[in-house]
Order: sequence, then structure tokens, then C-alpha cells
Amino acid sequence: MGGDNRFLGLAYVTPYLVGLLFFTAFPFAASFYLSFTNYDLLSTPDWVGLRNYEKLLTRDRTFDKSLSVTLLYVAMTVPLKLGFALLVAVILNYRLRAINLFRTAYYVPSILGGSVAIAVLWRYIFAHNGLVNLGLTSLGLEPVNWFGDPQNALFTLTLLRCWQFGSAMVIFLAALQSVDKSLYEAATIDGANRWHVFRYITLPLITPVIFFNLIMQTVQAFQEFNGPYIITNGGPLKSTYLLPLYIYDKAFKSFDMGYASAIAWVLFAIIMTLTLIAFWSSKKWVYYAGDRRS
Amino acid sequence: MTKWKSLLGAVLASTSLATAAGAAELRMSWWGGDSRHTATQEALKVCGDKHGHVIKPEFTGWAGHLEKVTTQIAGGTEADIMQINWPWLPLFSANGEGFADLNTLSGTIDLSNWTDAELATTSINGKLNGLPLSTTGRVFFFNKTTFDKAGAALPTTWDELFGAAAQIREKLGTDYYPLNAVDETAALLVSLYTTQISGKDLIDPNSLTVAWSQEELARGIAFYGEMMKAGVVMDRETANAAGNVRLYEKPEWADGHIAGSYEWDSTFFKFSDPLKEGEVLVPVKLLQNADAVAEGVYRKPSMMFSVSKNSQNKEAAAQILNCLLNEKEGIEILGSTRGLPASKAAADQLKAAGAIEPALAEANAIVMAGTGPNVSPLNEHPEVRSIFLDTLEAYAYGQMDAETAAQDIIEGINEAIEEYRS
Repeated sequence: MGGDNRFLGLAYVTPYLVGLLFFTAFPFAASFYLSFTNYDLLSTPDWVGLRNYEKLLTRDRTFDKSLSVTLLYVAMTVPLKLGFALLVAVILNYRLRAINLFRTAYYVPSILGGSVAIAVLWRYIFAHNGLVNLGLTSLGLEPVNWFGDPQNALFTLTLLRCWQFGSAMVIFLAALQSVDKSLYEAATIDGANRWHVFRYITLPLITPVIFFNLIMQTVQAFQEFNGPYIITNGGPLKSTYLLPLYIYDKAFKSFDMGYASAIAWVLFAIIMTLTLIAFWSSKKWVYYAGDRRS
Repeated sequence: MTKWKSLLGAVLASTSLATAAGAAELRMSWWGGDSRHTATQEALKVCGDKHGHVIKPEFTGWAGHLEKVTTQIAGGTEADIMQINWPWLPLFSANGEGFADLNTLSGTIDLSNWTDAELATTSINGKLNGLPLSTTGRVFFFNKTTFDKAGAALPTTWDELFGAAAQIREKLGTDYYPLNAVDETAALLVSLYTTQISGKDLIDPNSLTVAWSQEELARGIAFYGEMMKAGVVMDRETANAAGNVRLYEKPEWADGHIAGSYEWDSTFFKFSDPLKEGEVLVPVKLLQNADAVAEGVYRKPSMMFSVSKNSQNKEAAAQILNCLLNEKEGIEILGSTRGLPASKAAADQLKAAGAIEPALAEANAIVMAGTGPNVSPLNEHPEVRSIFLDTLEAYAYGQMDAETAAQDIIEGINEAIEEYRS
């Protein structure tokens, strides 16, 4: 690359690099430092060593509760959302009339999904006198206390997350369309039914995309904030008090930014560990093109 | 060249003129609703023109405002003039150094419009951290229409409230409740009852520990349990079925199924406006039984205007504050958008002009006439509030008894405010 071009390239990436340094790298490093301090936002951080981590991991009952709620939320949300997204993608992969319209329509909730307005709408739909209970009572069933019963509240938020399946669905759809059609034809000639084709041809060939979606959805689920903050504010009985809410409350309501940073780093460690486990296990179930096993 | 010289001369002349007049660019931040936003922006324009300053408004709703101000103060980018909630004082200015000392600006701000007692509430270590805007307190609002429909009289005692609940539920149905009690309101109702039977505020002002004994607080918590059991208030599981939604946004409030609450006097219209046509809301004096040793009014300065200690234009900010609170133009425009003004000049002018809504005046009169121990700002410390609310919710869901809840609250609060004792 010539000298001029080299500088031109640097000029192009400079805005991104500046943003990355100031708005991601610096806060990232700063939060790590702050996690070892007692910092109330208004005075100078006071170094306390591992005290925040020690308290967090040994004496903080709220953290224990919040962590177990978060893990349960991730465990429910990720498989449900991926399964649903894959199911819709398979259906939308058929040659139907007005298929593009359907594809767009199913993607729309993802565009709206993370917004405050949709969270508020969700609150009304699942309220005691909301649309869902109206439907249940019209079928002669008992209304459900979706938000007031600690057993149901987290599941209701899980449904909101699953409703935003569009982006995962689009990626699945692209993967399904890239599967070599001749494999399907060969399998059909050999007498395979639809389930066999899906189970032994489609599914193995889209495992890289399943793996990608699994990682992305897991990370996003661990970071969920809007839904529980707006719909239930973490209640009742902290049954929807996900870790990001706890971090927020500690940082901006209790003015304990050092402790909040420590929670954030523990959350980071959990996500990182699960991601590494996923990568390690992927050797056993993800098949790439050119892979000796394929 | 001559042309450039004269142009430069004109620019310099205009600059020096502006400096002589002390023209400043200021920022002012506040939270509130639409009426407050509109009035404050207009008042800032008028006061800015009068004193030759430009003031940039920064306003939000209540939610998230504390977080915003905290972040700004932490970064040293806070507005020159800030509307500060009174319970935030110990958070931002534990030693009185968190805001500019307005005593040093008394040549510009006419402090004689506040009594010494009023100024003491916003002073720490002799430093005046803010100007009190109004005094507020909790009063009962009852939907008179619902009570009338059931043939029940508005209550004056707790016993009468329990009697009215039974009558309302018998006549109108078991989905009617004479009072609301969730979250902060539930905690303050427990506080009210406990203060009435003990004669003490939650926090002892000398030791800065919880003043109530475990037995006293347990009685207050058990009283809340009795209210849920008797259908005076909704049980918590039913109340939470609506999700995280404010009382005045609930259809049950608008149509009178929930027929009362215990709220800040200054929020009267926030609760009366959403009511359906024909539903009438009235402010009611604090309920108490014959064995109460105190009325237990929860009264405090509602909020204050503070000047940033980092402001480069403190004198100009003081001029604007004086205009907003003590001068004719500012008073007229702001009206009662921040409650009934504490400034004597403002209160006199608004009363003379008949600009104060009777219901608001009545609610405020109840608060001002109420008696009880002084309320510590630590009552609303975020950790204190959080411990109280979480434990009360666990009690309401049947996860612990009143004695255990009282013990958890006392121990938790004593630990949370430990730093203020040193």
C-alpha cells in the first residue's frame, strides 16, 4: 500500500478508533480499577483491594438472588428464542405466496422489541385486566397473575425477549438458504422423509450459525435491562431483579460505583466462562465446510 | 484598514459593555411535569431578559433525574442552577461544601423572604446550600364519590377507615378499596402509624440510629397486615398484577375502585386529573386513633434551588434565583408549579392574585397545621428506603412475620447509615 493510501486508511478508521478508545476501552479499564475501590462518584476513589469482591461473593444475599434469577432467565430465554427463531425460519424458507411480506412482518418485532414503548405495551398486555387475561377468560379459563406472582413474572419477561426473535431468525434463514439443494434431492431419492432431511442434513449444516446465535443471544440475555426495569422494576420479591438492574441500582441509587463495577466484572467473568465452554464444546457439534468430519 | 479598525473598535466596545452589565450564559436543570416545564422556561426567558443573562434550560421527568444530576456533579458538568430534592442534601453535601453557600450571595438574594427555621432546613454546617421552594408533606386524598356511593362518611380515624372499608366492599363489591398502599406509600403508612404510637421519627436525630424499638415497628407493620386482611388496601400480590405502574395511571384509580391514597400535598392535581368525570377527590387530615401519642405529620422542605459550587457565574445565578422566587415577574409566571411557595414575597403575591387552587391550599394547610417529630432527610436515603420497601414486600407476601421484618429493617437501616455517625 502506498504512503498516501496508508494515511487515508488510518483517517477512515480514526473516528471508530477514537470512539472505541474513549467510549469502550477507557470505561472498560476504568471500571476494572474502580472495582477495587470505594467510589461514591463525588469524591476520590479509595483503594480497598479485594474487599468488594469478597463481600460480593461471600456476604451479599441480594447478589446471590440476582445471579440465580439472571442464570434462570438466560437458561429459559436462549433455548426458547433460538428454537422459535429456527422454527419460523424453517417455515419462511418454504416457497409461499407473498413470502417476502411474511419475512418482513416477522422481523418487525425485532426492530421495535428493545424499545421502551414495547416494554410499556407488554406491561399492559399482561396486566391483570390486559389482553392476555381477557383472552383466557373468554375461553373460560382463570386469569393469571403474570406480574404479581413471583413464579410467573420472570417467565413473562422471557416471552418479551423471545418475541424479539427476528434478528436470529434472519440469520437462520440465510443459513438455510445456503444449504446445497442437491443434498436434499439426493436424500429424497434415498427415501428420507422431511424430518430425516432436517435432522441429518439441514441441522448439521447450519450448526455454525446456531453456534453464532447461541453466543450472541447468551451475551444479550445476560445484559437485559429495559424489560425488567420498565415492566416490573425487578419485583415482585426480586424475582425479576437481573444483574444489570442491580449494577444500575448500586451505581446510581446507592452511589456505590466501586461495588457496581465489581458486580459488572463478575458478570463479565461469567459470560466469558460460558462463552469459552461453548467454544470448547463446539468442536463436538459444530461442522464447518471443509471440516474432515463433514 | 480604517474600516477594520472601526469594526474592531465596535466589537471591543460591545464586549466591554456586556462585561460591565455582567451578562452571563447560565444553565438550569430541574425535573417536573409539563406545566412546570412550560412555566419555568417562560420565567427564565423573562428573568434572563430583565437581568441581561441567557439561561439554557435542561429539564426531565422525575424518573432518572437523580442519576443524571449525580453523573453531572461527579463529572463537574452540572448546571449553574439546579432544582435539588431535599433528601438528596446528605448525598451531595454531607459537610455543607457540595453546593455554593448562598449566604455569600445575600446581597443579591433577598433572604428575608424565608424564616430562619426554613433556611436552617437547607443549611449544613452553617452553609446555606439551597433556597427552600415549598414545604410539603403527606396527606390523605379520598375519592368522595366512592364513599358517597357506599353511604360511608370520609374517615377521621383508622377505626373509621376500617368501618368504611367494610361498608364500601359490602355495597359496591370486594374489588373496591378505600386506600392504596404499595411501595413507598405502604412504607410511609407504616411510618405514620409507628410514629403515631411511638411519638418518634424513624431516625433519632442525636444518635443517627433507628429511633423505633422493634416492638413499635412490628406493631406498625402488623397494622399494615391488618389493612390488607380487612380489604382496606389491596393485598400486594393483587396490587403487583398491574406491573410497575403508577397509581394515577391505573384504571382502578380513575374509576374509583381504589378510593384513596396517602400522597404529597403538592401532587393533588396529579391524582385528581386522571379521575373520570364526576369523581371528586378531596384532601383529608391525617387519620389517627385515640391512643396515638403524636399526629405524626411527615413534613419536609419539598425541594430547593441550589447554585453549583463550580459555577463561574454565581452572582448572575443569584440574580436569576431572586427573580424567580422574589420578584414580581418570576413569581407570576411560576405560580404554584412547585407547590405553594415558601418565599413570603411569592406567597403574598399569589394569594393576593387568587392564583392558588383551593384544593391545593387546603391540602397544604393540613400539612402545615400537622404536628409531629421532625423528619430526618435520612428517611429518604436510597439505601434506607430500599431496605424498608424490600422487607415490607417480603412481609406482605407472607415470607416473614412482623417481628422479623421489624428486626431486619432496624438492623439494615442502622448499617446503611453508619457512615453518617462518624
